[in-house]
Amino acid sequence: MHISDGVLPAAVSIGSFVASGALAAIGIKMTRPEDLPKVAVVTAAFFVAALVHVPLGPTSVHLLLPGLVGLLLGPAAFVSIGLGLTLQSLLFQFGGLTAIGANSLMMGLPALLAGLVFRLVRGKSLVSHVVAGALCGSLGTACAAILLAVLLATGGESFAGMAKLALAAHLPVFFIEGIISGFTVSFLYRVKPEMLGRQREHR
Amino acid sequence: MNDPALRIIEIQLLPALAVAAVWIVVLLIFLLPKREAGERKGGGAGFHGHSHDDSVTGEPDWAVPQIDATAGLTSPFHQWDARVKIAALIGYAFCVAFLQQLVVAAVALAASVGAIYLSKLPWRRPLARLAAMAGFLGMFLVVMPFTVPVAPGDTLITLPPLTAISFKVSGFLLALLIVVKASAIAMIMEPLLATAPFTVTVQGLSRLGAPSMICQMLLLSHRYIFVFLHEIKRMARSMRVRGFRSRTNLATLEVYGNFLGMLFVRSFDRTQRVYDAMLCRGYNGAFPTFFEFNATRSDWAKGFFWVGFGIALIVFDHLL
Repeated sequence: MHISDGVLPAAVSIGSFVASGALAAIGIKMTRPEDLPKVAVVTAAFFVAALVHVPLGPTSVHLLLPGLVGLLLGPAAFVSIGLGLTLQSLLFQFGGLTAIGANSLMMGLPALLAGLVFRLVRGKSLVSHVVAGALCGSLGTACAAILLAVLLATGGESFAGMAKLALAAHLPVFFIEGIISGFTVSFLYRVKPEMLGRQREHR
Repeated sequence: MNDPALRIIEIQLLPALAVAAVWIVVLLIFLLPKREAGERKGGGAGFHGHSHDDSVTGEPDWAVPQIDATAGLTSPFHQWDARVKIAALIGYAFCVAFLQQLVVAAVALAASVGAIYLSKLPWRRPLARLAAMAGFLGMFLVVMPFTVPVAPGDTLITLPPLTAISFKVSGFLLALLIVVKASAIAMIMEPLLATAPFTVTVQGLSRLGAPSMICQMLLLSHRYIFVFLHEIKRMARSMRVRGFRSRTNLATLEVYGNFLGMLFVRSFDRTQRVYDAMLCRGYNGAFPTFFEFNATRSDWAKGFFWVGFGIALIVFDHLL
């Protein structure tokens, strides 16, 4: 879920632009030029994958994927997510122009966290990778939902009800996103382990 | 509930109907373009002739109408220097975002509609932008009247057997303010972005101080988005041909997980090849540009008009 224009108070909207700018600058510093194509590709894939709707009973939910982006890119994840959200806002109006900073924080911070957690718990085997991937997928979405609720709640008491509802609406997505991330990591581990930062095993 | 400052309307049909009518009209405005876009996706010019396959994304076919498809028209917005245009309209958008009065926000919405009219852009894309926000804003309209705390002097509308749940007019007006502001800014995005080629817009951003790496990534990712949209449509079609139907079960999630993994692998390989090809052709970390920006007096005048208009809105907002 992306925050649209006109929801956040001025101080929060501008403050989150400053914070996102700083985090993105750090991310750029830590990205080597030869990694740029990888960042661009994950950005575009993040953008496109967010259009994928997974059926859930009578309705459907779309994927958020901060966890997967984080575990694929590590420190560069914030730049990628910021860019993806900027493009989503500019091209399709998913998220408002004045809320790009806030939306980037909402998705980018969980991505950084997921990247860190993934590197700590992934271990060496396929099973431990899958478990770590599923954990990071759920964690990323959960943190994004909590940050969304916090950002909405900065609007004052009138927004408290919306914040709670937004949090509740993301509950099913935690599980779906975790399971899908686990399967995606399992696929990448077997097919293209270098994308997860592993050397391909020679047979 | 017996606060004398509150006006509690119990099933008084007239105001309730009036509010409900406004509510439904606003919701319809947001939902109709979405439906239309959904119906349209079967036809039209496709990306290399494949435009009908949206079963996985469930989205209207975005692959065709790129943001700069209308960049070749002639209008005051098209002839505006991109740097001044970006700075002025983004500044204006921030002014609108922080308005507090519904009337002033409505003036801003009218100005956005006027800007689209002046820029001679087709109405389809601004409406698609409104449709993209429909879910989020619709939730505000539906939820906020019932969840805001009761303010002094508020009007409550209740149905007598269910007095615990009341429709608070203040909450509805707050949600409506958000909807109007968001729509005003969403509609100004079209004159901002669709009136110049995307490369020129990004070049303007770079001249305004955006880091060159960010600008190049914007250009690269923008291109890749449409490539990958095409790719997931192809993959979705081949999945359907092989008998995949998406349902609520673990097998579906596994297929989606592998689908995403495949998308990453394919797109990564493709990007690597493209990057190698770019290096072969002398890419040295910057795209060459073949145009010069040249701001004239009328460019500045337009810039000052929009920024001044934004500031005037803010001033009126505080005075009212």
